[in-house]
Amino acid sequence: MRKSHPIRRVVLATAATVSGVVLLLSLKPASGPAAASAAGAAPQATASGQAPQGGAQAAGAAGGTVTGDAAQTQYGTVQVRLTVAGGKITKAEAVQAPKGGLSDQKTALAVPKLNQEAVAAQSARIDAVSGATYTSTGYTKSLQSALDRMKSSAGSTGAAGSSGSSGSSGASGSSGASGSSGAAQARTVTGKVAQTQYGPVQVRITVSGGKITQASAVQAPKGGLSDQKTASAVPKLNQEAVTAGNAHIDAVSGATYTSTGYQQSLQSALDQAGG
Amino acid sequence: MTTTLAGGRAARRQTMRRIRPRRSPAVPLLLAVGAGAAAVLWLWWHNTPSIADNTGRILNAGRITGLLAGYLMALVVLQMARVPALERRVGSDRVARWHARSGRYTLCLIAAHVFLTMWGYALQAGKSLGDIVQQTVDSVEQLPDVGKAAIGTGLFVLIGLTSIGGIRRRMPYDTWYHVHLMTYAAVFLTFWHQITTGNDFAVEPAAKMFWYGLYGAVTALVVWYRILTPIRLNLRHRMRVEAVIEETPGIVSVLIGGRRLHRMGAEAGQFFRWRFLAPGMRFSSHPYSLSAAPRPDMLRITVKAIGDHSARLRELTPGTRVWAEGPYGALTAQRRSRGKVLLVAGGVGITPMRALFETLPGAAGDITLLYRANSTQDLALWDELAKIADERGARLMYAVNSPDGERPDISAENLRRKIPDIDRHDVFMCGPAGFAQSVYEALRGAGVPARRIHHESFEM
Repeated sequence: MRKSHPIRRVVLATAATVSGVVLLLSLKPASGPAAASAAGAAPQATASGQAPQGGAQAAGAAGGTVTGDAAQTQYGTVQVRLTVAGGKITKAEAVQAPKGGLSDQKTALAVPKLNQEAVAAQSARIDAVSGATYTSTGYTKSLQSALDRMKSSAGSTGAAGSSGSSGSSGASGSSGASGSSGAAQARTVTGKVAQTQYGPVQVRITVSGGKITQASAVQAPKGGLSDQKTASAVPKLNQEAVTAGNAHIDAVSGATYTSTGYQQSLQSALDQAGG
Repeated sequence: MTTTLAGGRAARRQTMRRIRPRRSPAVPLLLAVGAGAAAVLWLWWHNTPSIADNTGRILNAGRITGLLAGYLMALVVLQMARVPALERRVGSDRVARWHARSGRYTLCLIAAHVFLTMWGYALQAGKSLGDIVQQTVDSVEQLPDVGKAAIGTGLFVLIGLTSIGGIRRRMPYDTWYHVHLMTYAAVFLTFWHQITTGNDFAVEPAAKMFWYGLYGAVTALVVWYRILTPIRLNLRHRMRVEAVIEETPGIVSVLIGGRRLHRMGAEAGQFFRWRFLAPGMRFSSHPYSLSAAPRPDMLRITVKAIGDHSARLRELTPGTRVWAEGPYGALTAQRRSRGKVLLVAGGVGITPMRALFETLPGAAGDITLLYRANSTQDLALWDELAKIADERGARLMYAVNSPDGERPDISAENLRRKIPDIDRHDVFMCGPAGFAQSVYEALRGAGVPARRIHHESFEM
């Protein structure tokens, strides 16, 4: 029975806990919210936690990797990354694909085939894998966006994929998906991630002729009650955004946090589209 | 004395085996607990690619403290699940201290978790620290299962408050105990919000399974060892009070009969938690050591009337049903690492020492008992002790206050003079905290290494 020192123990425990937590927090990279939310929001994203969302890293003529936009499907997110050398796709892989339950099997079955097809076709005109239609469609979409990005960065080699990498740095979310080639035409802008109590909200709008022609949520709260709320609120908010043409839209009652997050992300998308 | 329980020789034969101290599994257990905590932190690390700003830092600090609190909460309950490996190997007293410490620490983590999370949410919603109360109310109303968690947290606060030393001493043991039992409800209520709103569990199905597994395992252990095992024990042995004997003024022995009591696996030095099914006593159980080696038809406890419960023991009538849980305690012959043993008893702490004095294997002269009491009148069980000492050639010494009330001098020099080879003894000790502390220091001064001083103390 060594002498106990209660005060010393309290001080030690407090100091150890506080410094442990502070150490853990400070060891985490303090990068932008886009990257943070990529893994935080989408369960499927863990594999791509470090992968830049929609970035072309020195892709194009020289070669490198290009990551397409994340395509949302009914079963989850699909995101394609291409390895490019000499202007050709040498490798295609899915950094995100639907997970959980049956989806695991389907993903395991479909994704390798789709990867092969993409390399063989060198384009997004690939056949869907039967039994995995949604995943195939999502894959094709993300592949197309990666191809677009590859071409645009190949066209402006001087910029060396800077449009993509500025997106990946996260300061402005993943912006300018197909922007650099035709700025005057329709373009898609993704707003910053807005954190809400229930999860992140991120809005993507398509702007054409200065008007919002389409609005969608690439991220919205998930899990538990949130699924229902998201399902009921997000379509309304999308409509409202197109109708209003700005971020002054009404909150959907019963989904106040999601609505507020939506407005914030929408505003940031509009800011980017304007600027 | 007619009540002497002479089962000595048989019991000695039972424990007569090579002296090989069983190591307490405390160190491997603590390592396992640390590894679990590291896994929980890794889970957070794995699911958090980066942190955006100060709001993110605050929220993530809230998540870390929440995860750790959820993990430790399961262990705090586990420590009171009466798992034999903990009760008999590590020692009930040590586990109870771990429980108290980790309980306090977990409560602090819960407080930090609630504060940091609500602060983070308030900042996220564009409000400031001042709106934290409103934010908390909103969250409790709107987030899934957070309402339940709030009730559970309230219970935790109540349980924590009633366990503060000063407050606990002022309230009856039964009240404290029943408030403490609400821990189970509180753990249940706070569990669900971890699953439904906890980011790491929503994101990672494996983590969710791990969490269910942890809490499920603890629940299973609690149900098994706190409910089913005692039911089986009592159905099998059907104990009743046989007689109550006054040993000295204020100290009574209770003889308890039953079926095949030697099959309960109790060893000298251990205790049971006793519940006497008599009016006013059936709602609380109390730990009392066996004061004699268990006999097939008889157990004996010896108790000093210090509290409500112990004072009422003397009014027990023969035939009263007894509900016992145990055996618990690690102060047994298994701790022994040397041939020679010194037993030190202070006051009613004689009870486990009396059982050990009778049963510890040893040749003549190997076993010594030092018995400290206020006066020779207070030397309960003295006749029995003298008889045992005679029978097995053990040494029996007592130390009492001098007629003018002066305390006997139990110092390192005195101990050395009385027992010249004291540094080659194992020492078993039981007595009030102050007494044990001073004897401990004297023993250390006399050259007994700390690892050979075996002591059980229920002081927190």
